Amino acid sequence: MKSVKDVKRKEYYIFSPFLRIFHWIMVVSILVLFGTGLLITKPMLASSTEPTFTMMSMDLVRDIHFLVAFIFCASFILRIYGFIINKGDRLFPRFWEGHFYSETVEVALHYMLLKPHHAPFLRNPLARASYAGLYVMVAIEILTGFAMYFMTNPSAVGGFLFGWVNTILGSEMMTHYVHHYVAWLIIVFAIGHFYMVLRAEFMEGEGEVSSMFSGKKVLAHVPKDANELD
Amino acid sequence: MEKRESLWEAYLRRGFSRRNFLKGCVALTSLMGLSADMFSKVVEAAETKPLPVVVWIHGHECTGCDESFIRSGAPLASDVVLTSIALEYDHLLSAACGEPFEAHLDEVIQKYNGQYILAVEGAVSTKDNGIYCMSGGHTFTHLLDKAAKGAAAIIAYGSCAAYGGIQAAKPNPTGSSGIKMFVGGKPVVNVPGCPPIPEVMTGVVMHVALFGTVPPLDGDGRPKQFYGNRIHDTCYRRPFFDAGMFAETFDDAGSKAGWCLYKLGCRGPETYNSCGNLRWWQGMSYPIQSGAPCIGCSNANFWDEAPFTDRLPKYDKVGDVDRIGTGLAAATAVGVAGHAVASIVQRNQRDNLLEDENEHGGEH
Repeated sequence: MKSVKDVKRKEYYIFSPFLRIFHWIMVVSILVLFGTGLLITKPMLASSTEPTFTMMSMDLVRDIHFLVAFIFCASFILRIYGFIINKGDRLFPRFWEGHFYSETVEVALHYMLLKPHHAPFLRNPLARASYAGLYVMVAIEILTGFAMYFMTNPSAVGGFLFGWVNTILGSEMMTHYVHHYVAWLIIVFAIGHFYMVLRAEFMEGEGEVSSMFSGKKVLAHVPKDANELD
Repeated sequence: MEKRESLWEAYLRRGFSRRNFLKGCVALTSLMGLSADMFSKVVEAAETKPLPVVVWIHGHECTGCDESFIRSGAPLASDVVLTSIALEYDHLLSAACGEPFEAHLDEVIQKYNGQYILAVEGAVSTKDNGIYCMSGGHTFTHLLDKAAKGAAAIIAYGSCAAYGGIQAAKPNPTGSSGIKMFVGGKPVVNVPGCPPIPEVMTGVVMHVALFGTVPPLDGDGRPKQFYGNRIHDTCYRRPFFDAGMFAETFDDAGSKAGWCLYKLGCRGPETYNSCGNLRWWQGMSYPIQSGAPCIGCSNANFWDEAPFTDRLPKYDKVGDVDRIGTGLAAATAVGVAGHAVASIVQRNQRDNLLEDENEHGGEH
């Protein structure tokens, strides 16, 4: 049995601390927002017959939801700063490059258990596409969320900035529906993401989990997209 | 009809005192949602502005808005129609009918070209050249086209005229829609509601009549003074919402105690209207006060957002999105667990193959 140290490895610095902090804020935010969101749609049974003595007020649940939503939105400042200063924070799905599609098919075939392995990547094209999808879903949540939040005063700046979302969706109730449905899609994504990351870490030796703590991957193999860090 | 009188002149002719006139102006100021310091401007307008000519036409609708309008308490609908505006044409409130009546409409449109207020109730039926809504031998689209051309401003009364209304519900067999796209860019005041609150209807027409301009509108073309707030934010049951006290069914103790109707599908949090502060029938009540959750009748597309008594749409036996989502999440979890097992099997096979190849590599 060979020890870990016997294998010659190379260190790849990928994620800036800003992206990593953002990532973990996002994890906590999504969990809290999802939980409180479900409670807002379907509040718990009243715990008292006197408003003064209720244990879990709707007001509190909503305030937590709003506070965490603002923190989550603010944390995008970290994401954007990391994006500017560090190449490793910019692992896009490269839709504009031909090899992206062939590589996606290869990875997909491997995940469908039809191919024994796929070429190693710092971040494989399927994962890249799924993260792009997550950002789209988060953007929908932010837009619909503020479209509901700021409409307490439609004439103010917030109503002006986000009110059009309600118009596009047809009605404000539809905005509620979209917000709620997409929240479930994000949770389904999160389960898949959680699994795929663990799988990459423990079955393919990709250092996926540790990279979101340390920012580095220490790999024995040479990833195909390593040039994107140069 | 040669010289149109002002409100003040109409009062004089009827022998009312100046004091009565001023009291009327105070009432007008408040019902238009204006602050008290606008009072002098209202008096000035009522003294000098000739009574506005109003043409009131009806499209694809139930005339329920008129039922609401005639119940206006301050001012009385009769005062509005007989002394505050010059109502020259109205399908429903006119005694005249037939050819002479239609000829009168043409006359009015010509004579007051560019000056009259056009009030429209009802949706535009667009399918099959609009044959599903006819009056006087013409389609409503024809009438609307004709009447909108010379209008100074247009008031869309009711959710039908504003958004298409209940007849626009899926699958919308008559192709109904709001009037906005069919009036050639004329300023439109949306006064949605099914029906709108009576005092809101009279308030809006009085604003246009007295000031000659449309009231301040929000992004959706609704007058801000009446549609600037959610019912939720003005609801007297809001404290129960904030405290998390909800009626669970229509006959439980919470319902009897007047708790929040949010869990019974109340659309107050999504609906912009004055029900919470003006209320109906001279402030007597409004749906939520009588124990019925708001159905959001002044919202675009409210007719397609069933069930009205629940917060989320249901899909037959499958249930709502929370049940579907829980199922989907569970299926995903089971799926990834199965995938993990299959992946381990696959890797072991791959490793065995590699080992075999390494051992027997030379012999091939």
